[in-house]
Amino acid sequence: MSSIPIIVDCDPGIDDTIALLTAFVSPELDILGITPVCGNQPLERTVRNALQVCELGRRTDIPVHAGCFRPMLREPIYGQFHGQAGLGNTVLPDPIKTVEPKSAVDFLIDTLTVAAALQKRITICCLGPMTNLAVALRMNPQISEGIQRIVMMGGAYREPGNRTMTAEFNVLADPHAAHVVFSSGIPIVALALDATHQVMLKPEHVAQFSNVSGRISQTLAELMAFWDRNDMRRYGSRGGPLHDPLVIAYLLAPHLFTTERTRVFVEHESELCMGQTIADWYGKSGLEPNADIVTKVDAEGIIAFFLDRLSRYAEKAVA
Amino acid sequence: MSRQRVIIDADPGLDDAAAILMALASPEIDVLGLSVVAGNVPLQDTVANACKVVGVSGRTDVPVYAGAAGPLVRGQVFGKYARIGAFSDDLVARGGITPSEENAVRFIVRSAREAAGAGEPITICAIGPMTNLALALIQHPDVARGVRQIVSMGGAFTALGHRTPWAEFNVLADPHAAEIVYRSGVPIVVMPLDMTFQALFTAEHFRSFGDRGGAAGRALYNLFSTFDRSDITRFGRPGGPIHDATTIAWLIRPDLFTSRKASVGTQLTGLTMGYTYADFYQKMDREPNATVITDVDEAGFIDLLIERISLYGSVAPNPKSPRG
Repeated sequence: MSSIPIIVDCDPGIDDTIALLTAFVSPELDILGITPVCGNQPLERTVRNALQVCELGRRTDIPVHAGCFRPMLREPIYGQFHGQAGLGNTVLPDPIKTVEPKSAVDFLIDTLTVAAALQKRITICCLGPMTNLAVALRMNPQISEGIQRIVMMGGAYREPGNRTMTAEFNVLADPHAAHVVFSSGIPIVALALDATHQVMLKPEHVAQFSNVSGRISQTLAELMAFWDRNDMRRYGSRGGPLHDPLVIAYLLAPHLFTTERTRVFVEHESELCMGQTIADWYGKSGLEPNADIVTKVDAEGIIAFFLDRLSRYAEKAVA
Repeated sequence: MSRQRVIIDADPGLDDAAAILMALASPEIDVLGLSVVAGNVPLQDTVANACKVVGVSGRTDVPVYAGAAGPLVRGQVFGKYARIGAFSDDLVARGGITPSEENAVRFIVRSAREAAGAGEPITICAIGPMTNLALALIQHPDVARGVRQIVSMGGAFTALGHRTPWAEFNVLADPHAAEIVYRSGVPIVVMPLDMTFQALFTAEHFRSFGDRGGAAGRALYNLFSTFDRSDITRFGRPGGPIHDATTIAWLIRPDLFTSRKASVGTQLTGLTMGYTYADFYQKMDREPNATVITDVDEAGFIDLLIERISLYGSVAPNPKSPRG
């Protein structure tokens, strides 16, 4: 099987880091580039974290292109569960790898234009606010021809929000960008809180990951331990929801997910419900579906999947 | 006096054509390029029109860049004179230039970042919906640092709108982009309808363009004679405005204008989408972000535009500065 070309648009971030580390050791994926954006942390920090994670995973061959430094319209908001600098209490060495001179938006446009011409479409993995992709689409709408599909973490449908009562962080951070992307006609797979809250990374899992993950085990265990929300009332257990890594799992193990096809709308006008994602479950809008929303996840299967992948860091030769 | 380095972000458009030709004839202004956006007419037509206007000016060294094909968030609306479409060859002769490969937004980002690096910020005249500018400003903080000022034709404060009851077209067509620009921290100079409605051009003025302005002047004569912009019930006297040219006139002769500082913004939703407000009386506890031009010396502005267009009939077009 030929590998799936992907671009990882992200805002690392602890869960972004776990997603990247998993993608790095998955030969089914051809990671063409990483495009950090302002999100969980200011851009300067998400770029630095992306570079450090590439070094941690020994994938310095993957180019990192810096994205937009702010959301389209709203003032930036930052994540609340990623520590001071985005990686919990973990301090990684200063990166030697440097960011590419080309911006993320230019990289997306140039790469997707070539992909469209060659009919070799690329999957975009969105793990953060979707500002980069929205700006690229507005600059050059034809690039949608170069996109196979967008697999995104964000939104909250039947589940309440995690940053406001109604909004999930990635969509709230740039609701206008989310609106642009959901209006683009590009096929979208949406991993919302409805899906990610089904997969809790619990303290007993952290111990397992620590045991199997070889040379990254100390860092991985630190990051995962920091991720524990310790909020029984909300999540029904200890641990933290495995948001962003599910995007990578969906690409590699789709059989672990159940989806429902529907029309998604993004609230970008009302301040009270800003960033809310609304699914037309029962065909009330009269509009065609634009997304596959993941409704069910095999949580045990997912944990086993990540244990298998991340155990590859224990093997001696990791690409 | 050193020439002002200017990018014109435009959606030609009749009065865009006048503004562009005015700038290209003016020795005070060094036009770095035209970044074109969808607005009055669809993008393919605004780009074709921009290329024709540059062609008819003889300044084929000035690059034209195609930008955004539609607004950021809202659905697309076109201008009141959208039926103009692409300028026909009998109105504006077919010109000799084609658009550059580079996207207009990338051109703005590149130019502004270079200007920031060199410590020589540029001016942007925004005479269409501000989609391109907004897309550029989002990408890197150096874009705002590299722009000295944005001279924006758009908005209406005490005057009512001309595309909806409340809204001026350029802001209405992309209110989110306008808001991004207004809040960008770049000093904004706003040319609202309140002021542009004060200078009305009549058939006699258009004849002056045609008689004195060579091929460029004839093109303007053709355009303004074919598409009548007068509105006697609104203006109470004959003639119609050439909104966009006020931006260029202000760069050349600020003494023809009166201004006030104010905090300016726009309404993003609902029936009054695109309505612009100016806090002239400091009611909002916000620092002014804009210089709002409130009045224009009508005769002075009309004479200046005719004088500059006449240069196309008398001398060789203004040469490019020796920038390399």
